[in-house]
Amino acid sequence: MRTGNFKETAGQLVALSDSKVVWGWAAALLVLMVAAPFLIGNYQVTLMVSAMIAVIGAVGLNMLTGTTGLISLGQAGFLAVGAYTNAILMMDYGWPFWLSMPAGGVAAAIISIFVGVPSLRLKGLYLAITTLAFSFIINHIILYAEGLTHGPNGIFVSNAKLFGIDFQRGKALYYLTLGIVVITVFAALNIQRTRIGRAWMAIRDHDIAARVMGIDLVRYKLLAFVVSSFIVGIAGALISLQIRFVNIDVFALILSIEALAIIILGGLGSIAGAILGAIFLSFLPEAIRLFFGLFADPNSSFYTTYVYEIRGIAYGVVIVAILRLKPEGLIGLWRDIRKYWSNWPLAY
Amino acid sequence: MKKTLLAFAAALLASTASYAQDPGVTDTEIKIGDVNIMTGPASFIGKAVSVGSKIAAAEINEAGGVNGRKITVVTEDDGYIPARSFQALTKLIEVDGIFALNGTSGTANVLAMMPLIEEHNLPTVVTTAPNELVYNPVRPSVFTIGASYADAFYGQLKYIHEKMGVKDPVYGVIRQDDDFGLAIENGYDRAVKEFGAKDGLRLRFKKGTANYAAEMAQMKQAGVNVLANGGIIAGAANILGEARKLGMDLQVAGVWSEDMPPSVNLTAPAGYDYLVADYVALDGPAIDAFMEKAKKYASPEEVGAINRYTYITYAGLHALAEAMKGCGKELSRACTVEQLKKLKDFDTQGVTAPISFDNEKQLSGTALKIYQLDSKTKTFKTLQDFTQY
Repeated sequence: MRTGNFKETAGQLVALSDSKVVWGWAAALLVLMVAAPFLIGNYQVTLMVSAMIAVIGAVGLNMLTGTTGLISLGQAGFLAVGAYTNAILMMDYGWPFWLSMPAGGVAAAIISIFVGVPSLRLKGLYLAITTLAFSFIINHIILYAEGLTHGPNGIFVSNAKLFGIDFQRGKALYYLTLGIVVITVFAALNIQRTRIGRAWMAIRDHDIAARVMGIDLVRYKLLAFVVSSFIVGIAGALISLQIRFVNIDVFALILSIEALAIIILGGLGSIAGAILGAIFLSFLPEAIRLFFGLFADPNSSFYTTYVYEIRGIAYGVVIVAILRLKPEGLIGLWRDIRKYWSNWPLAY
Repeated sequence: MKKTLLAFAAALLASTASYAQDPGVTDTEIKIGDVNIMTGPASFIGKAVSVGSKIAAAEINEAGGVNGRKITVVTEDDGYIPARSFQALTKLIEVDGIFALNGTSGTANVLAMMPLIEEHNLPTVVTTAPNELVYNPVRPSVFTIGASYADAFYGQLKYIHEKMGVKDPVYGVIRQDDDFGLAIENGYDRAVKEFGAKDGLRLRFKKGTANYAAEMAQMKQAGVNVLANGGIIAGAANILGEARKLGMDLQVAGVWSEDMPPSVNLTAPAGYDYLVADYVALDGPAIDAFMEKAKKYASPEEVGAINRYTYITYAGLHALAEAMKGCGKELSRACTVEQLKKLKDFDTQGVTAPISFDNEKQLSGTALKIYQLDSKTKTFKTLQDFTQY
């Protein structure tokens, strides 16, 4: 049994994990994820793709809000920029999706610089409102720049093919999204261990103290916006590939609130927490639906009049209960479980 | 031996044909999907739609079903969010295995579902979003019931222009800055150009806007006395409330959602006897007969949720059932689509104009009735019977 965590070299200090067990579990999870489309139905594959897109977006937002402490309500705007860039480049300019997708991330990253500039002087709720205003501006631009964005009509996204494989459906989209999730998570875990990541954490903990220590606030805050928005832009591009249609209604303000809810519920500042939060909130409606399906006849008047509202209330109650009982979020719950089993049978 | 082999081959072919049958159909049942707004502020639409499907299915089943098969309706909530509509339809297709779709939520929602509908050649009757974007371009398996918002506004403004004798008319439009609002402005645009009327002011607002004080002050400033009110429910009520505060003398054309009781309760206090154009009957013997049926097949809560969307979905499922009947026992999606294309003057028992999909757009129910609200009694009177615009 491990009695402590001793590091002898700098390499050990910055390693993602020194535990072979952790690597073993990570490898097993990856194998399971790769095998999953062959073990589950098409609907479950669709749900998992949606959950993985939420993971990518949550990891991106976590860098900005969880790691750097800059609250953003502009995620719907960044998602829309990524999705529309991908859709416009694919459908109006004939770009292949493997070029237009990263372009969606780049477009979101470039635009984030304009949003990031006010963040140099603002924080907390003031910054949240600024980023919210950004979402409204993006919304207006999409609706009014009809020549570029097709305005309120939206854009159908099709023909994302490579080597004859259609990457907008089924297993191909699943593996594309899984690949991006793996790259994003590894990149995020590594960035957190670099000077950049530690500078972000220092800014989050006390920006004046961080400045005194030699951290360039302008550079690192803008960098947080750029990196985070690039990832969120990629998530937006994936949404456009999955739904195969973009319209301003797809990127409603509620998405920004949900994104913030995901990282708070998962555990602010933790990448594992962002992943857990995204998976939990993506599958919670499905779990509640299955639960009610056990007790109510779908043809009953209860189903046609009340069950949907009750499901909505149950969704809120579960979130409130988790945060009330475990304020540090799902990652706190996970740490407790891990600690219990690490010390088992001597757990206390 | 040869005979045995032939019999075996014939049996194999027969079994292959039965396996090739489209999803959602068994010897005793046909599953019909419905993706709708069952939660959130617009849930009164989804609930009404759901009740319409339920009443139609119960009535069809009681009469022996579709060639002996009972109809089962499976409803999924999308909360009016397009991404959820896509997910809900994926579930209906992959998990529930629906055969066809009747009930498709809002415009952006049905558009988000369109790639799936086309991919599966899913016979679909669009009952709640007759936006031009849905039927232009025409998708082979998609059939739309309803007039366009553009025609609805053109029809009302034409009635005001020809019959209401507004002195020195100055027209104005206030509408949402989305696809729905654009359709309204298209109808307004056609009207002012055709009548050579004075185009006073065109204003856009964002969905969910609650305060229209500035917009209505601009309308007054522009001298507008014929208003195309593109607000819906609380939005429409707030627009008229502001107009009343400013003492504006207006003839108002409204969206058809404004003939529903919850909307009327909100807008009537402003005291404007506004017009609406609708492709469903709001009163008369057909509606009385429908309400009797509703009491038989639905619970009191469900009867309380009935509004115009109930009638359209009821008509939609009957039209779908008629097409499926035409296929006989060998029911398939391709056959149902072909039968829907042939549907002509199908009688909806008076709740809408007869349904005909035998046209290029696969669009029916485009004729509009024009009604006027009596704000004191909160009732509507018919000004003009079903007319094509």
